[in-house]
Amino acid sequence: MSVMLTKFESKSNRVKGLAFHPTQPLLAASLHNGSVQLWNYRMGVLVDRFEEHEGPVRAVAIHPSRPLLVTGGDDYKIKVWDLRPQNRKCLFTLHGHLDYVRTVHFHHEMPWIISCSDDQTIRIWNSTSRNCIAILTGHSHYVMSALFHPKEDLVVSASMDQTVRVWDISGLRKNTPNSAPGTFDTFDNFSTVKYVLEGHDRGVNYAVFHPTLPLIISAADDRQIKLWRMSELKAWEVDACRGHFNNVSSAVFHPKHELIVSCGEDKTVRVWDLAKRSAVQTFRREHDRFWVLASHPELNLFAAGHDNGLIVFKLERERPAFALQGDTVYYVRDKYVRSYDINTGSDIGLLSVRKFGSPYVPPRTLSYNPAERTVLLTISSDNGLYELTNLPKDISGELKDSSLDGKRGSGQSAIFVARNRFAVLNKNTQLIEVCDLTGAVVKSIKPPVQTNEIFYGGTASLILSSTSSVVLYDIQQQKTISELNTPPVKYIVWSQDGSQVALISKHTITIASKTFSQNTLIHETIRIKSGAWDDAGVFVYSTLNHVKYCLPHGDHGVICTLDNPVYLTRVKGKTVHCLDRSARPRTITIDPTEYRFKLALIRNNFDEVLYLIRTSNLLGQSIIAYLQQRGFPEIALHFVEDKNTRFDLAIECGNLDVALEMAKAIDRPECWNRLAQQALKQGNHKIVEKAYQQTKNFDRLSFLYLATGSTDKLIKMQKIAEARGDPMSRFHNALYAGDVHSRIAVLREVGLYPLAYLTAKTNGLDEIALEILEGAGLTEADIDDVPDYGQTTLKIPSIITPTANLVWPTVPGGESFFDRALANGNLETGVEPYANGDVGATSVALDDWAKDEEQGLAADEDGWDLDAGGDARVDEGEVAEDIDAEDAEELGAGAAPGVDETEVWTRNSPFAGDHVSAGSFETAIQLLNRQFGVVNFSLLKPLFLSTFRSSHTYLSPLASLPPLQLHLRRDPAESSLSRVLPVAVQTLHQIRVELSEGFRAVSSAKLPEAQAIFRFVLRSLLFVAVSSDEEAKEWRDTVTLARDYLLGVSIELERRRAAQEEPDNVRRGLELAAYFTHCQLQPPHLQIALRSAIQVFAKAGNAGTAAKFARRLLDLNPDPKIVSLARQRIAAGDRNPRDTVDISYDEFTEFEICAASYTPIYKGSPSVRCPYTDAAFLPEFKGTLDPLTCLTEIGVVASGLPAPR
Amino acid sequence: MEFTDLYNVKQRFFLGAYKSLVEQNLPDPSSEDYAPILFYKARAHIALGDTESVASLIPTDTENLPLKAVLVFANYITSPVGDAALEELRDLCVEIEGDDVEATEREKSWVRVVAGTAFARANEIEEALETLGAESTTENLEAVAIAVQIYLSIHRPDLARKEFEHAKQWAEDDLLLQLIESCIGLVTGKDGYSDSQSFYTEQLANPSLSSPHLLTARGVTRLLRGEVQEAKSDLEEAVLQQGGHDDAETLAASVVAAGLGPKKDDAEELWRYV
Repeated sequence: MSVMLTKFESKSNRVKGLAFHPTQPLLAASLHNGSVQLWNYRMGVLVDRFEEHEGPVRAVAIHPSRPLLVTGGDDYKIKVWDLRPQNRKCLFTLHGHLDYVRTVHFHHEMPWIISCSDDQTIRIWNSTSRNCIAILTGHSHYVMSALFHPKEDLVVSASMDQTVRVWDISGLRKNTPNSAPGTFDTFDNFSTVKYVLEGHDRGVNYAVFHPTLPLIISAADDRQIKLWRMSELKAWEVDACRGHFNNVSSAVFHPKHELIVSCGEDKTVRVWDLAKRSAVQTFRREHDRFWVLASHPELNLFAAGHDNGLIVFKLERERPAFALQGDTVYYVRDKYVRSYDINTGSDIGLLSVRKFGSPYVPPRTLSYNPAERTVLLTISSDNGLYELTNLPKDISGELKDSSLDGKRGSGQSAIFVARNRFAVLNKNTQLIEVCDLTGAVVKSIKPPVQTNEIFYGGTASLILSSTSSVVLYDIQQQKTISELNTPPVKYIVWSQDGSQVALISKHTITIASKTFSQNTLIHETIRIKSGAWDDAGVFVYSTLNHVKYCLPHGDHGVICTLDNPVYLTRVKGKTVHCLDRSARPRTITIDPTEYRFKLALIRNNFDEVLYLIRTSNLLGQSIIAYLQQRGFPEIALHFVEDKNTRFDLAIECGNLDVALEMAKAIDRPECWNRLAQQALKQGNHKIVEKAYQQTKNFDRLSFLYLATGSTDKLIKMQKIAEARGDPMSRFHNALYAGDVHSRIAVLREVGLYPLAYLTAKTNGLDEIALEILEGAGLTEADIDDVPDYGQTTLKIPSIITPTANLVWPTVPGGESFFDRALANGNLETGVEPYANGDVGATSVALDDWAKDEEQGLAADEDGWDLDAGGDARVDEGEVAEDIDAEDAEELGAGAAPGVDETEVWTRNSPFAGDHVSAGSFETAIQLLNRQFGVVNFSLLKPLFLSTFRSSHTYLSPLASLPPLQLHLRRDPAESSLSRVLPVAVQTLHQIRVELSEGFRAVSSAKLPEAQAIFRFVLRSLLFVAVSSDEEAKEWRDTVTLARDYLLGVSIELERRRAAQEEPDNVRRGLELAAYFTHCQLQPPHLQIALRSAIQVFAKAGNAGTAAKFARRLLDLNPDPKIVSLARQRIAAGDRNPRDTVDISYDEFTEFEICAASYTPIYKGSPSVRCPYTDAAFLPEFKGTLDPLTCLTEIGVVASGLPAPR
Repeated sequence: MEFTDLYNVKQRFFLGAYKSLVEQNLPDPSSEDYAPILFYKARAHIALGDTESVASLIPTDTENLPLKAVLVFANYITSPVGDAALEELRDLCVEIEGDDVEATEREKSWVRVVAGTAFARANEIEEALETLGAESTTENLEAVAIAVQIYLSIHRPDLARKEFEHAKQWAEDDLLLQLIESCIGLVTGKDGYSDSQSFYTEQLANPSLSSPHLLTARGVTRLLRGEVQEAKSDLEEAVLQQGGHDDAETLAASVVAAGLGPKKDDAEELWRYV
């Protein structure tokens, strides 16, 4: 136990009583000044205060399952309080004790409260009926503590009379109903002292039961803690823990480990080994005497009260040591190294580290080396140790203990820095040593800063954590690459691709690039516990009570809340993998939509954004605010329903259509005004017009019409003005429209005759002018003094480009990706389902085929000359020359050249393919000839070359030197020269894929292609090396299959050729069609053959045979449509069971088809074979080149495929 | 410990980041690092096949022996016919053996490295090995690297391994040493493959340089390990990083990767391209 980890501390008056809440992070503390405080120790805030007691409060307890608090004070009162946040108040007070109340305690299931007092009694109260149901008497001095047993009907009490007493209260349970006030006479029935434990020399302050074992510990003023054991009949002292040098105030059992924790007036908190009763650790405080100790019922958490407040502490770190490798977490639980596979959930123990360091201390860090399958652990006990151990290869039986072969050393921090190097930090000497896997130091580094912790910093680099900064340090150059100022960094997490690192401090996270060149800092008020990278590059981290995310540029937010802290290990999609406080793997399902959405926005990955908009329910003010703030109003627009917000957003992003729509819906002047302004900016005068119309802004409307040259609208405006009786507006419009008559009329109407007159006059309208003059009762003579203004030059501007009906020029409205995508209605349609053609392809193909036949077309059958290459004899010399050329550069006449691996290959393998890989083409040719009778090698040349090419690769590790030729081996795990073989370039698997390619070609009636593919398959198969009998069989099957198809396709091609070139030779066509149906094809392809045969035979009038084919077709269970066709044929055949054309086709005798002449070879007739494919030929073809594959000589004897190896 | 600049230069040179090395500016001619950096930079030029630049970089009348050797070597690469260049290198080798020569031990070893490279290229294996001081006690890691590669090219991984083990005794834990080990691993196979792979993976993550050569190397290693798909992705990325400056080894390895994949046609296409 190296440190006591203080989690929370408060300053206050002397603390006399403490109680943990069982589920919430709450702690009740009763003080010497009469106050009872309720603290949230996780957040560090005072939640509430209860101040009704007078004088010191020594006793406090919280109900294990109900929201109740009980306190007892020096005012002799016991008060029960409601703990629910909304009504925290005193429920009732229990009176009865005659002196200070020392402790109170709730029973775990009965509604009982036990209290003890300086009045030498212990009382049990019923909190339902709120009265005393028992008084336990017997102690002859103050009773300092009285507690229920956690399970049984027992009470343990400690007293100043130097005894600890165990009471049996089983009688109380039976007699509970009998508890009317005042019936004290029944008490004696059950107040039986079971044991009196004597042994302490002074008063006993505290005694408590072990939660599961029959043990009691007591703390006394004789400075001892005594351990007692009980049986059914007696109880006895086991041992005492000596070490406190003043009164021991309290002692409790550790809820999980075999430990005792005690505190005393000697200002110490001590930890003892329960089994050995030896001191494990002492925690000293300068000035404060400890008065009380409480342990959390579930967690590794303690509280101690002292003269000036309280502390909440843990005894050991709970953070499990772990390391992530790919999808596997290596972690330590209960001093065992375990591995947890995130994908399969398999969780297995690998190694025991029980003997590593102090038995009470779990290892602090774990570093995993995947190359060597080695773990490097550190532990904080014994002033810091590290241990390097190999993980066992197979885990069976007893787990290996690391002490067997582990290499240990001292150091505070140790990590792997390369596959065969690790670094150890010694904090005291400030020296970092780089060691190889044997533990030998290969390099010593003096860190440039005071280093508290080291982490892996990328290749050949370390990250050094000091008190105020982190340093990226290059090991090889021994210099600082970069330095960042941060609070002390406690953990680091590298992203999956190693491009970013998160540096975690207590309250900050720094996200930095791998060179520390860019970084962002996040500050958290709550303690940060751990973090892990999402595959997308989002950092997900956990605080004490939240799982949060952080985006690369520093945006962060909450994903979900947590009840208890967890340690994140890996984030995969929607699942967060973590270890809980007891180091058990857990998963939390989160909704990553929010951060994925934000990330997509930042990265401008609009497809993803769109996808998220479509599929997820992303709503809410926060996301809209976020979008607006980040400058994506157009996206926000799609989320908003609220009209006003929608209008605002539309204006912001200039989406006038939406704005107009919303303005219509809202219909308020200010909206229209804003719309008009925005539309004006964008030059969309139609919308401006609309907006002005809506707000009845006539002046502007008129001016707009003037500006856009919309004369007719101006005239309308004039009329409107007339109707409104607004002469000013009329005048305006008349002026804009250039309507002099109206202008004059307006002026006359409003009595501005002089102006009217002058207007008329200057516009050459003398008659009207005269009229006005007359109307005014004047003559021209009267106005002699008016100067002659001449003809006016005022004219309305002439329209050069009519824009009245044209929205131009306009600012591009910012139609974004989203506008388009969402406007297209794509929002609803998901990703287009991938149409997989394979399902219906065959029948479609069949129909195509059938159609083809019905039209009697044979147009596309050409191009494939069956005899192509048939005459090309081998040019071995040429091929061999190539090889020599390629080999020459390798064969250096050096000092003592060793054996080339290629030579080994040829020696190790009897397969032609392997010889080709080795570049030994000559031997390969010999092998092919001997094994398969191949004589035509020209077709194999490309395969020779590609196979050889694929077996070697080149690399120049050093400058300017010729590259190394590297040889690809079949089994990378094989290095023994007597067994190495070249990589399998042609594998059966690949060839079968190729073969199915051919089947597809057959189905889709691409016969020449199919023929080429089958030939290619047969050529490729020659290069396959088999390793087992099964493979050999599969190889043979594949050859046969390919041969049958090749034969079938060739026959069909011949038929089509014949049909075109010799249309009169019906007989030959029929025969070939019939033979085709006898090739060993798979049912779907056989159907094709049969249907084709039926067609041909029916057409030729051979209804009888056609019917036979139709019967065979029916046997294959074809489509219903085809079934009906077949039945028609059968019916036709039954009606007319005769054949018009006589052909050579005997379906009843078994026959093979000669692959050269396409004629039947009936069973028993002589035939010769192809040495490779075993295809049959008429004897006269012996010695010629096999026209089917164009490779072999028909009829020669060959040894066949060599035995597998 | 060497000076940082030089360290960087060497690191890049050994890891095949010739391009970035060539683009780097030379330090001040009066600087102590000037000649060594020029030495490596010139060799990077040669490695890229750009021998002409070497002539412009190094004055023909240089007194510095390693630089002189590089200059001759560049000439040899330009016109490998004839023994003239080789003879000159031989002379240089003899010269450094003399007592009165003004050259540091380091410079001498550099001359040997260049000469050894040239001899190896000329297929004078024995001479090359002798020049490089193989199987002797010279503590010259670069020479060891070349010697190892020569052994490997004549199919003597056992000798290569011996040389390496020997070097490990005196050499500091160095990048070059790891490189040598990875080369041997590539040839001997089995566990060697994973050594090489870890080495190249580590170097790829090295923050202070990036080089498509490393990607190619890892791609090749993965090919050898039978991880064709992964190899393909490495090689594709390497081609991408090379940005049009094709590298024969990368392309060759790509052809192999394609040839081992399910689509053989791709291999043919690539091959034709090559």
